[in-house]
Amino acid sequence: MSGSTVNPTKPATNDSKDTSQPAQPQKPAQLEEDDEFEDFPVEDWAKEEEVGAQAASTHLWEESWDDDDTSDDFSVQLKAELEKVKK
Amino acid sequence: MATPMLGQFLTQINGFIKARNETSLTDYLVLEPPFAQAYTQIISELRATYPAGNDTALEAKCAQLLPEAEKGDQGATWTAFIRYMVTYLGYLRDVSADQGQYRRTYELLSEVQGKVNSALSHSTLGYLILRTAISNARLVCRLAIGLDRHPELLGPLKTGGGGEEGGARETLPEKAANTIRVAFTTALNDRSGSQANGLDSNGQPEGRRKGVYALANLCLKILFQCKKTRNASQIFQNITSNAPPLDAYPKAQQVTYLYYLGRFLWQNGHFGASAKVLGRAWEMCHAGSGTLKQRRSVLIYLIASNLLLGRFPSTALLSLPEAHGLTEKFMPICLAIRSGNLAALRNHLDFNSEHAAWFLHFRLLLQLRNRCEVLTWRSLVRKVFLLKGTLPEAGSNKAAFLDLPPLVAAFRAGGSQNPGLNPEDEPDPDLEGTPDFNSKPETGIDEYGVISILSSLVDQGLLRGFVAHKQQKLAILGSKNFGGNAVAAGFPAVWGVIGKKGGEGGVVGWKT
Repeated sequence: MSGSTVNPTKPATNDSKDTSQPAQPQKPAQLEEDDEFEDFPVEDWAKEEEVGAQAASTHLWEESWDDDDTSDDFSVQLKAELEKVKK
Repeated sequence: MATPMLGQFLTQINGFIKARNETSLTDYLVLEPPFAQAYTQIISELRATYPAGNDTALEAKCAQLLPEAEKGDQGATWTAFIRYMVTYLGYLRDVSADQGQYRRTYELLSEVQGKVNSALSHSTLGYLILRTAISNARLVCRLAIGLDRHPELLGPLKTGGGGEEGGARETLPEKAANTIRVAFTTALNDRSGSQANGLDSNGQPEGRRKGVYALANLCLKILFQCKKTRNASQIFQNITSNAPPLDAYPKAQQVTYLYYLGRFLWQNGHFGASAKVLGRAWEMCHAGSGTLKQRRSVLIYLIASNLLLGRFPSTALLSLPEAHGLTEKFMPICLAIRSGNLAALRNHLDFNSEHAAWFLHFRLLLQLRNRCEVLTWRSLVRKVFLLKGTLPEAGSNKAAFLDLPPLVAAFRAGGSQNPGLNPEDEPDPDLEGTPDFNSKPETGIDEYGVISILSSLVDQGLLRGFVAHKQQKLAILGSKNFGGNAVAAGFPAVWGVIGKKGGEGGVVGWKT
């Protein structure tokens, strides 16, 4: 029997999503985004396509952020509070 | 009635088993309507000749036309495949593209999943059906999540029969996750292949172990979407014990898996491990515009984890397209921590804050409230020391110090001692009759409260010093080692203290 008669043509629906979003969603969209982790459109990719390879020279994180400025609004208010202690 | 197309279909399936042709077998076992013309013909034949309720006859037909499954391999028959085919054909026959039949579709596919799981467990032929098992699981997952989100699609609840007695009933999504978990465990426990780590000579996963992370990710997706994450710990432990290394798998699977693992660690308070895992997921993400949503999902939890370790997002990071809108969420926290502004921190993370719903939605709020408070304490003590601390004279052996009263004043100005305590709250009725019942909660922090905070900071390594109770002073240690810089000595950078320590060692669930 020939393998061409029964044709496993892919169905027309998009396999990546949507069945979980039926036609009549009832809940109002209260938030701008969903926390569902979507499937990736591709299964694998090369190292040079990774974020890490492309953002290697970008300064992403601040590890030294201590604030020595005592002239900002908060420090000024704090100073005023501390002055009261003296009395 | 004659069933020529069905017969032809089964004969072809039999040929694929004989030829061990996994790809064609997978391609032929389609699941999603609308179906190609050949399948609609098979469906018509099934409805005419093997209507629902007549599966004995259908099973006989399958057994007759699938002799390769009857024969099996190495003396072990594969009749589980025949039972799978019967259920699969029943699904084709009974499934409806009608959205109103959402629950019915879910039930049919769950049944197919149960059978495909059994077929998967054949030690030498099971691998032929792995991809079908994964495709089926993907659909079960989508439908379970859809039904959980839209319970109106469940239709009338069944009454009587089949209900468990006593104890908490398994919810529909939990049941779906457990069904898929059977396939996951089968894939994980495959002992075929040449090497103990489950990889072939090219470093690729062998046999059914190819499906370990894809199936784990589907279980995790359901558990996270349905807030049943406690059940996830077993999956992570199983992976640690038996899975091949994660990096042998496609990157989409790796990133997805690390995302769920990172969130699980976050929920359980392992922020160092969470930052490490999510950091890897983020770096490995595809950088193209088509994966913006995935990168954003990882980034939200990565920023939160790093923040608690004393590592703030840079403006460059917050300017990335996937970080759109995150500045207004996270930057006020960073600023409040930096300056020691407790009131600003508490306002931003208050349950009534405009951002609270967003933080709650991502299940970030409680951890941020708890841990950022401590980091802000440290900065506040540091700032008061900058303003009011006393440095020893050059050459003196005395320690730098800070009087406690200014600290108490600073914390009092920052707000109540307990951010969750509201003086307007009614007393707890359980306390009725006790001396505490009518006492209003203390809102202003006192000296003991401040000493408690200082001790906590010292204990966590965030403050190097001690409280001299008699003198009512906080003494700072080790200035000499920092060239007389008491601030640097007393207040080591948070990331250096917590961040590095938290990221050391292996992480349960991350097989490297």
